[in-house]
Amino acid sequence: MSLLEIKDLTIHYVTKDSIVKAVNGINISLEKGETIGLVGETGAGKTTTALGILGLIQSPPGQVVGGEILFSGTDLLKASDHEMRKIRGDEISMIFQDPMTALNPIMRVGDQIAEVVYLHGNCSRAEAVKRSIQMLEMVGIRAERSREYPHQFSGGMKQRVVIAMALACDPKLLIADEPTTALDVTIQAQVLDMMNKLKKKLGTSMILITHDLGIVAESCDKVAIMYAGRIVEYGSLEDIFHNVSHPYTIGLFGSMPSLDKDVDRLSPIPGLMPDPSALPSGCKFHPRCTSAWEECSKVEPELYEISPGHCARCLLFRKEGAVNE
Amino acid sequence: MIPVILGVVVIVFTISYFTPGDPAAAILGPNAEKASYEALRAKLGLDRPFLVQLGTYIWNIVSRFDLGKAYITGTPISEELIYRLPTTIKLGVLSIFVTVALGTPLGILSATKQYSIADYSVTTIALIVNAIPSFVLALFALMLFSVKLRWLPIAGVATWDAWILPIACNSLGYVALSARMTRTSMLEVIRQDYIRTARAKGLKQNVVIRRHALPNALIPIVTVVGTQLSFVLAGAIIVETIFSIPGMGMYILSGISGRDYPVINGTVLVLSVCVCVMNLLVDIAYAFIDPRIKALYMSPRKAKAHKSPKTAEVA
Amino acid sequence: MQPITLKKKKEYIESLETSSRRHSQWRDILGRLWRNKLGMVGFFIVAVILLLIILADLVAPIPYDKQNFAERFLYPNSVHLLGTDNFGRDMWSRLLFGGRISLFVAIISVCISLFVGAILGSTAGYFGGKLDTIITRILDIVMAIPGLLLAIAISAMLGSGPVNTALAISISGMPGAARLIRSTVMAIKGNEFVEAARATGSRHGRVIFKHVLPNAIAPLIVYSTMSIGGSILAISGLSFIGLGVQPPIPEWGSILMAGRPFVRDFWPMIVFPGIFIGLTLLGFNLFGDALRDALDPKLKN
Repeated sequence: MSLLEIKDLTIHYVTKDSIVKAVNGINISLEKGETIGLVGETGAGKTTTALGILGLIQSPPGQVVGGEILFSGTDLLKASDHEMRKIRGDEISMIFQDPMTALNPIMRVGDQIAEVVYLHGNCSRAEAVKRSIQMLEMVGIRAERSREYPHQFSGGMKQRVVIAMALACDPKLLIADEPTTALDVTIQAQVLDMMNKLKKKLGTSMILITHDLGIVAESCDKVAIMYAGRIVEYGSLEDIFHNVSHPYTIGLFGSMPSLDKDVDRLSPIPGLMPDPSALPSGCKFHPRCTSAWEECSKVEPELYEISPGHCARCLLFRKEGAVNE
Repeated sequence: MIPVILGVVVIVFTISYFTPGDPAAAILGPNAEKASYEALRAKLGLDRPFLVQLGTYIWNIVSRFDLGKAYITGTPISEELIYRLPTTIKLGVLSIFVTVALGTPLGILSATKQYSIADYSVTTIALIVNAIPSFVLALFALMLFSVKLRWLPIAGVATWDAWILPIACNSLGYVALSARMTRTSMLEVIRQDYIRTARAKGLKQNVVIRRHALPNALIPIVTVVGTQLSFVLAGAIIVETIFSIPGMGMYILSGISGRDYPVINGTVLVLSVCVCVMNLLVDIAYAFIDPRIKALYMSPRKAKAHKSPKTAEVA
Repeated sequence: MQPITLKKKKEYIESLETSSRRHSQWRDILGRLWRNKLGMVGFFIVAVILLLIILADLVAPIPYDKQNFAERFLYPNSVHLLGTDNFGRDMWSRLLFGGRISLFVAIISVCISLFVGAILGSTAGYFGGKLDTIITRILDIVMAIPGLLLAIAISAMLGSGPVNTALAISISGMPGAARLIRSTVMAIKGNEFVEAARATGSRHGRVIFKHVLPNAIAPLIVYSTMSIGGSILAISGLSFIGLGVQPPIPEWGSILMAGRPFVRDFWPMIVFPGIFIGLTLLGFNLFGDALRDALDPKLKN
């Protein structure tokens, strides 16, 4: 049984003006110890998916419209509030994007970590404090610093504290939402390195949300590319990097600046991500796709298998019929 | 704070210097002889230049806490004020306490149940009560509760229930403001990322509010309390006159009706100093609540330790 | 071609609008104002009271100072809409004409506050430096004295009467106005069009009047509305304790004070002036709040 199985997850934000279809029928599966990268531009629905797993979607206006989230067999969407609270922080943890604002500014750093340990750990307060210091040292922060406040730490160190807090209760699954985006590049490398080491050591599965394919290459076993709330390509790291298939993914790779080639201009994907409250008909990517033809605006493609474990949501890979280039 | 107080003393003195009327005449009455007026005037130092008089006034206050004598009764003003100050301060502090005790929960309720019936009704009722001036409210309350219903005493502070109406009248108007401020502050705080982090840890909603949201929301609330201090003390004056509470309000009223300027000015001075001191206490309270502000006040050595150390622990 | 959605169109147009601020802004502001129900209630209250006060001659035919000992302490009836007072004078007339006094004094005091405050505040904000520090220090000291107390002290010094009361209240309100104008001026001073004006050689004074102050109008409008309410409160308060405006001039606060001895037996002399004061303040507060929300919706939530 997989650790996490998301089936057909659909999440909408309903306001009186419009319905924002943030996530539309996502399917993901994750085994123990695996890391999946969830890649996409801003607005693709990645964070919403992550919040949906933990049940942290703001209920007006957000609603989970359909699907299942099976975590060790239990459907999280049907779990009660009480059960979800037991899972949060303990079996599933989440790290958010901006470390500068993720910590309570008037609470000591050690206390914030001890809080989650004490909540889930069934241990005494003293033991919780010991564990929090242990976690801090694991992320490379001296024990004395546990009595300090967040504003006394730099951005990278704050993110380490956040990671320490997330891993304190030994969760089975860690969801990291763009954990290094707000940090500068050298720090990024250090933090990623640390996360990879810890992940291996503790056997934690991870969903790594990012828009940076470089990070994906370093940390992930599987990749899911998201666009307009759907997964448009899914496969192992090898599949995606060596056999990239969906036009959007090709575009993503193509837009990355290359170290070997000498170009005058970068080549981004033309156009913008569609407005989630007014999605185009047929294939959601067709307005920006260089390989699109007429049928693409009418028929919404399914996920077609390219090779075992690798699929893409594009009519190019439809089994029956010839493929027009 | 000291320069401000000094400035206040100067202003108050200047006001009393320019007040028309002759202190000597006020003290001796209209029928004394011309010579005695002049003798008294010389004795009181009224013929000396402005700066000398100002200096004497300040010196008297600083060295002997002597605010002069009342024209009418001749008793030293500082004595009267010291006697009456505790009552007024008690009224003021209790009013603020009630304001915060009522306003904060109402504000939290409004914020967490935004747009609900509770939110709207709290806001509306609070707005209406805020608009009624404290003395009008006091008179109405006096009429209703003391005269018609006879539930509460009319005047004085003999029993504990005599305090209920005065405190209520002085505080209710600000409950509205406090609730509003709490609401705004809480709404702002609840949107912050660290609240989301707290929820992701699996904490219960009311624990999140109590332990993470509220302490952070307190800072603007304390600001509001600080600004209200001066209004509350001034309001206490008027409320005292209605309920015949023997505090500084009644004293200044007697000064007004008797045109006893030293009394009026002395009371104003002392009350202003009280407000200054209370504001200082509020500033100190800030430092306790927000460790970032505490760092500003600490000694340079400790402050250095508080800044993010750019040591070998890069990132 | 990427279809441009309706939402994106709106955003684009709005961004155009903010660059040509004034004309379309007024329509937005009025629209927001209109939609704010509480604010409209406040406006309605203020408008009704203002109308009654202005048309007092028509609406309250009985002279307010006409004493009639035979008709003292009458409860509201068909002739005397709100009854009579302890001298047999018609309460309705007294309250309406008293409203005139209150309004008159309030408006004058707010005008004086704004005028002097504008001079001080804009000088401090515009020139900055030592001048700013000195002015701010002085303002801080004056503000250290609670407003009502300062008004009491100055009122006592000047004596009672409408003009003196206006002066007293304006002095105690002036630091607030000066501070507000100072911060607005400082914010606008940083804006580019001021630099442009200076670069083309306009004198300081010209820059202040033609460019800086017009953009400071919005917070000033809010401040004035709230201040008129506050001034009426102060006037009533001062009259109530024996300063301010004294009998026989009718003023809500002094009528209230006159009614105090009769709190046990004759409630109209307390209730009616109280209602007038409360309603007027409520109206100004609600409307002022709505104005503030309409002029800068960002501040709202």
